[in-house]
Amino acid sequence: MNSSVETLVSILERENVEWELYWEAGRGGSFRIERERLERSQRKFYSGMGLRVGYNGRLGFSYITGLNHDRKTLEEFVKRAVKLARVSEILFRGFPAPSKVPRVDGLYDRRIEDIPFEEAHSLAEEFAGKMRELKGDSLTLSGSLALGVNSYGVANSSGVFLEGRSTGMSVSAYAVVEGTRPGTGYHYQSYRSLQPLEELGRSIALAREEALLSSAAERLEPFSGELVLEPSAFQSLLGIFLENLYGDSVYFGRSRFSGTGEEVAGEAVTLVDDPTLPGLPGSYPFDGEGTPGRRTVLIEKGLLRNFLLDHTYGSFLGMESTSNAVRDFRTVPHIGTSNLVVEPGKERLEDYEGVVVRRVFGEHTANPVSGDFSLTVELGYVIKNGELRPFRDNMLTGNVFEVLRSVSSVGRESVREGSFISPRVLTVGRIV
Amino acid sequence: MENLVRKAEALAERYGVSYYEIRITRVTASHLSIRNGQLDELSLNAEMGIGVRAFNGAWGFSSANDMTRAEEAIKTAMKIAKLSRGDSRIHLGDPVRERAEIKVRKPFTDIEVEDKLTLVKEIDSLLEGERIVSRETAYGDGLKEQLYFNSLGSEIETVVPRVRVGFSVTARENGEMQTYWRYFGGTAGWELVEDIDFPHWAELVKEKALSLLHARSPPSGEFEIIMDPELTGVFIHEALGHAVEADSVKNGDSILAGKLGERIAVEGLTVVDDPTLPGKYGSYVYDDEGIRGKRVEIIRDGVLVNYLNDRETSALLGLEPNGHGRAQGYAYQPLVRMSNTYVEPGSWSLEEMLEEVKNGLYMAGDKGGQVDTASGTFTFGATEGYIIENGEIKDMVRDVAMSGSILEVLRNIRAVGKELRVEFPGYCGKGQVVPVDDGGPHLLTRALVGGLR
Repeated sequence: MNSSVETLVSILERENVEWELYWEAGRGGSFRIERERLERSQRKFYSGMGLRVGYNGRLGFSYITGLNHDRKTLEEFVKRAVKLARVSEILFRGFPAPSKVPRVDGLYDRRIEDIPFEEAHSLAEEFAGKMRELKGDSLTLSGSLALGVNSYGVANSSGVFLEGRSTGMSVSAYAVVEGTRPGTGYHYQSYRSLQPLEELGRSIALAREEALLSSAAERLEPFSGELVLEPSAFQSLLGIFLENLYGDSVYFGRSRFSGTGEEVAGEAVTLVDDPTLPGLPGSYPFDGEGTPGRRTVLIEKGLLRNFLLDHTYGSFLGMESTSNAVRDFRTVPHIGTSNLVVEPGKERLEDYEGVVVRRVFGEHTANPVSGDFSLTVELGYVIKNGELRPFRDNMLTGNVFEVLRSVSSVGRESVREGSFISPRVLTVGRIV
Repeated sequence: MENLVRKAEALAERYGVSYYEIRITRVTASHLSIRNGQLDELSLNAEMGIGVRAFNGAWGFSSANDMTRAEEAIKTAMKIAKLSRGDSRIHLGDPVRERAEIKVRKPFTDIEVEDKLTLVKEIDSLLEGERIVSRETAYGDGLKEQLYFNSLGSEIETVVPRVRVGFSVTARENGEMQTYWRYFGGTAGWELVEDIDFPHWAELVKEKALSLLHARSPPSGEFEIIMDPELTGVFIHEALGHAVEADSVKNGDSILAGKLGERIAVEGLTVVDDPTLPGKYGSYVYDDEGIRGKRVEIIRDGVLVNYLNDRETSALLGLEPNGHGRAQGYAYQPLVRMSNTYVEPGSWSLEEMLEEVKNGLYMAGDKGGQVDTASGTFTFGATEGYIIENGEIKDMVRDVAMSGSILEVLRNIRAVGKELRVEFPGYCGKGQVVPVDDGGPHLLTRALVGGLR
């Protein structure tokens, strides 16, 4: 245990308050490649502690950067949080009690922690080199690479004391095909372990392929009817829907739903939030409040089964935390997702002939409570008799609740994009 | 401080770094939010950190929030720059020594937290009403004190206060739900809050949310649209602003690359980005590269006349630096960003514009937007709208987003209104988030509307 954490705990134990301490320390290296050249490299360090104090049913919060402080500074830090608890009027619902934390494998890769910065820099150079190999006269490639390591812990006056560490790597590639009608393509992936150059090459290839499709794309004539959403487009729509499942939205009446059990999607749809999956970017053994990570079925065969909850809103709603308290040391916990998994179905939607939407943008202009959306189609295509005709610049419009209820089948093969895992889905939509 | 300067000089020499700059930032901030009468957040915090950038034909950057690591951050940035050895160039210019403070009438740091608490509670109670099922109010202020120095000998101390307050309500009736909101903000003090007529705005927000419950989704397809000043702001920010940020030009990622001096919009359209507008949310005196923020005419009378740039893009493109290198905070490298972006007023009255429209939409309010600068497609959302039939405003419509191609829509502008408003504070994301403002007059153009009808 870090000595400042130890000192803080000893100071807090003398106060007549309930308390929770969250600390973290980490570093990250990241690299930006612009037009096949490594232009920006950086290495960042951060550390800090966030303290929540419960006093007389009220909550105070304060944070401090750094993990090495003298006793006097730490005493003042505690005093500040206690003082805020006295004036704050934020309702305090206690902190979670200790319970068994699951083992989640594959969250830490020593190779990322140990890699010298020079080697990470060389990897980024090689990534840029790979882009130079693949670029063409009218094709330019850019991208980024990032590596990071983080150690963190949470302790509270109910007896929770947990520590963990994790590593991460992310890679992105961006391709532009210049010309009278420029096309763009993008690929992003994140990992917990160090990836070889081939994986980075795959990212470039996927971005390039998408840019070529995009440059050949034209606007599609308006269409209404059955269409397939690729995982990226489905994720955009699910994001609008999910705002209704956050416990605070439910509690404050900003959600469409006040209880579970309602039919919200086609029978083929099962949606799960699961932080216990090994080796995934959204995984953790315990959440930001020390609640053990657990799998939560949000939608089961089309029926709404659960909301996303942290300890506070779980308590307000008379439910249990679903281990979805997300935070860093600067913030109090808020509700967020871990890994979102759309369970695979039975259909082979890879062979689907018809309208397929790959990517859309503008989700934040949608209205989560009414469910209405109109998003720009960044890329889609129509397949007819094996022939592929890309389109873009149309809008995909509809109501997210209707689109979800109209999902008639879910594909067999899942694709992972960061912490979102989903096959393609077949639904009904409108392209204008 | 003196010690850090000397240390940086010695390290730059050791690592052969041609240019470096250091930002030491302290932010004192308070945030309060209340939902349905229940206080949700109250935080008062101060944070200090260091960000160091070193240049050796490419950039090396390092940051730390633990000031005991300040020297290590300087050393790390320089080591990375040495390792990088690129062949880019940057604008250097003359050293600047100045203390620049954006002054306010009533510093919010002098206001007791109890008074801020009273404010959010008062606003919350004003928002109560029949069929209003949810209400949220948020107040935030932050005083950013930054010490900037670089290897040219610049030493700039800046003090920028920012305050923002906003609220939203959600109305519900017969299973329908709608939300409406209003935000206020600026580089100002507590006087900004005192000057707001909260009862008026609370009534307006409730009334709008309730009337949206009965509004229909708009028709879809290409329509003539009159945008209100707020929507003009988000439109010009998305449709033009991002594509004239010179880093996207440099990276082959802007449809406006190579178009300086070309007519890209209708005559009569002038677009400006101006960080020097007093009190606006996106204002600042110096950017995060130690360059004074300047008013930039981006489009003058339909012709693209300038890009927004930083030290690197101004050198590359041979342009006068205009101080648009902004960073989210000390732990971020500056990127080319907008400040306060707006369309200059023209000569049309709203009535005259309406008369021009046979079958179209009047759209108002900003729901944000997004753009693909390389392909030139953008989308932006309006909070409310009205059908226009034969020059008359008819039924209200809701939940609408519009899309278009930058070059087409700028050429399709048919009329520019005569009353200018730049008062729509918000945040712009581009990997980093910075405060911005935007606006303009009413604007008549065409766009693709994505309604459900």
